Amino acid sequence: MSNKDIQRTVTVSIQRFNPDVDKKPYMQDYKIKMRPGMTILDALHEIKTHQDGTVTYRRSCRHGICGSCAMHINGRNTLACKTPIINEVEKDDRVTIGPLPYLPVIKDMVVDRTSFWEQYLRVKPWLIPPDNIPELEFRMSQEEVKALHDAEACIMCGACYSSCAVIGMNKKYLGPHALLKAFLRVLDPRDTAPSERLEIVSQADGVARCHTIFNCIDACPKGLNPTQAIETLRKLAQKRQKYEEAKRERQKHLNEPIPS
Amino acid sequence: MQNSKVITHDVIVVGAGLAGTWAAMTAAENGVKDVAVLSKIHPLRSHSGAAQGGIAAVLNNVRPVAGTGPRGPLEQIPPGDDPVDSFDLHMFDTIKGSDWLGDQDAIEIMVKDAPGIVIQYEHMGCVFSRTPDGRIGQRRFGGHSAPRANFSADRTGHVLLHTIHEQALLRNVKFYSEWYVMDLIIEENIARGVVAINVLTGDIHVLRAKAVMFGTGGYGQAFKVTSNAYANTGDGVALAYNAGAPLMDMEFVQFHPTGLYRHGFLMTEACRGEGGYLINKDGDRFMSKYAPDKMELAPRDLVSRSEQTEINEGRGVMEDGQGIFLDMRHLGRAKILERLPEVRDLAIAFAHTDPIDEPVPIQPTAHYSMGGVPTTVNGEVLANANGDLITGFYAAGEVSCVSVHGANRLGTNSLLEASVFGRRAGYAIAEFIKGGAKLYPISGDPAKKNADYVTSLFNNDGDELVEDIVQDLKNTMTDKVGIFRNDEDLKSAMADIHRLQQRFKNIRIMDKSSRFNTNLSMTLEAKNLLTFSEVIVAGALNRKESRGAHSRTDYPKRDDENWMKHTMAHKDEDGRPQLSYKDVTLYWDRFPPQERKY
Repeated sequence: MSNKDIQRTVTVSIQRFNPDVDKKPYMQDYKIKMRPGMTILDALHEIKTHQDGTVTYRRSCRHGICGSCAMHINGRNTLACKTPIINEVEKDDRVTIGPLPYLPVIKDMVVDRTSFWEQYLRVKPWLIPPDNIPELEFRMSQEEVKALHDAEACIMCGACYSSCAVIGMNKKYLGPHALLKAFLRVLDPRDTAPSERLEIVSQADGVARCHTIFNCIDACPKGLNPTQAIETLRKLAQKRQKYEEAKRERQKHLNEPIPS
Repeated sequence: MQNSKVITHDVIVVGAGLAGTWAAMTAAENGVKDVAVLSKIHPLRSHSGAAQGGIAAVLNNVRPVAGTGPRGPLEQIPPGDDPVDSFDLHMFDTIKGSDWLGDQDAIEIMVKDAPGIVIQYEHMGCVFSRTPDGRIGQRRFGGHSAPRANFSADRTGHVLLHTIHEQALLRNVKFYSEWYVMDLIIEENIARGVVAINVLTGDIHVLRAKAVMFGTGGYGQAFKVTSNAYANTGDGVALAYNAGAPLMDMEFVQFHPTGLYRHGFLMTEACRGEGGYLINKDGDRFMSKYAPDKMELAPRDLVSRSEQTEINEGRGVMEDGQGIFLDMRHLGRAKILERLPEVRDLAIAFAHTDPIDEPVPIQPTAHYSMGGVPTTVNGEVLANANGDLITGFYAAGEVSCVSVHGANRLGTNSLLEASVFGRRAGYAIAEFIKGGAKLYPISGDPAKKNADYVTSLFNNDGDELVEDIVQDLKNTMTDKVGIFRNDEDLKSAMADIHRLQQRFKNIRIMDKSSRFNTNLSMTLEAKNLLTFSEVIVAGALNRKESRGAHSRTDYPKRDDENWMKHTMAHKDEDGRPQLSYKDVTLYWDRFPPQERKY
């Protein structure tokens, strides 16, 4: 990036909508001067604090761990804080920003996540542990941690959810975020409810609804793989009894050291 | 916009990070059915989730490999072999880290509660990194004499936060997500409730409770370069102070040595715990000059001062010479991918540098607030230096000051503090409620008072933008109340803050709508920044010594005879901080003060 680029003035085109005063959404353009290292979130902050305080969006950590700032940027869902503006304005010196799709808009980029959180609750995200709790930690092997494929890293940002074409057509679909959470718990050797969980995700709006479109993988800012998690749940649901037996066997040894 | 419907709960918790959620969950588990948690952001967005390196506890799962020295590899301790760690050692490390300002009885409780609370997290389903035989993995950390940082890759705070939130949901704790608390009601030394804005609608409500608990976190946003989220604006400390509660040890602000250059984002201490080096312009591991024994794993205040000295003396890196290099190349690809994936991602995304191949530019970043609302070891808020309590008011986590960190906090002790004292506050609250706590009446009309204030802000057609005031404050705090302080700078900072408080009267809010008005909440947050910053400067000005993170070039030595005491600040009738002092609790026979060398 040359110094010429950094001083460039670009257009940030934002989808505005306040249901209290607007009949429908409309685009509003703002001009800003880019700074080295400026992200989309930085640009929004600059606009909000110096030009138009009514521009509204969620944000907190600024570095991709809290999940607040997922929004629609130049046609794809991603975190505003981790998107350098310089890459987005290559075409026509302009970037277009809007709210995550498929969720009702509260104001500008702030969307109503009620259904998103309801689906998260539906899969019972908490661990359901065995009755036999040891004095110290349960033993979980390094392989068992690896098998989770970092599902625990999910920040519930919603980028995957709002990229899913199935969600676009069927609001009752559990969604990649909830299914990734279900996968985390089903595969956790300490969880004693695989049958209940596999039952939940095998219902009408569960794993069967995934059409392996892969938009979720594209969108995930943490590099996670909800499709693979859903595929695993599908397979385990088909071999449910076998998996439950294997788990029960594993759980007999949950308090013993992992053999080398 | 004021809503006459008064909401009542037995317990109101403000803040849904680790401390607040533990308190709410524990109270709910111990017989309090009616617990509500208010959070200005969705609970899972709380800054507890940004913690990376680990949570400290003496578990004795891991030890250094014999004969490989203090930077050598670690291995799991075979069953039956001698432990390498102890409560006494964790206590001593914390006390020394605190530069002998930490209250040793509180520290003892924290280190003894630690193993139980980490095991409890694991039993609740936290995914930890593991030793080969399946135990919770531990790593080295700055200022700790044994590897006791229990970790989950470099996203420990994230997994703890998600786990505790799930457990709270399981216990039917009620969450008010995106409700901004703008006032705390304390009358006749009894906490009676809060006033909060339902951000979605703009309605202002009074919420009454028998007990109010603050888990509102820290205040790094007062500084220009900070690891802290936008949300960390010290609302809790400001509201408590405005309501008549004291603030303790506010002058102790921790600058974390490794914030990503220019952005300030946290690059966990674990980068150094796993073996990373700090290098100056000449390619030297300069920590050998400042902490020959612990090197890069000296406590944070020492490392930050060392970095700042190198920078001030012209040996910094990057175009402006304000950076230092963090070199992790020798850790190897496999270890970085397994143990430090999140920080690698940050370095690539924001510094265009892959730590596998290149050193990463970093600089000291405002990170943690040792000071806060003073409490007992059960989270009960003190009214004064004598130890009298404010009835029905509790606090835990970064907003509080117990004090377990004294003048400087060791890494991995904050996730621990928030969990331990959040849980203890929960037990104390449950006992208080079951013991017959009353719902006290609230005088006047606080909803109207606050609504009128908001209206006055909307109607204030001044010509100052709030952001300009905030940026000026950040510059003042960073330049004059930073790592190295002196009388002249501090007095100048105080004058700056008074001017900024005057300028604030002339602000103009651009968004006057009622629906999801973040322009308004950011303005209220800015006012809070000005409120507690004044207290920080007052404490720093008066403390004529250097201790822990408070380093004065005009008083470079620690002065135990005159200054081994906590600063307490009350708001006086003119709105200025009035200082008093409180003794430190010391076990003179076990941990007498020593010179602090690493």
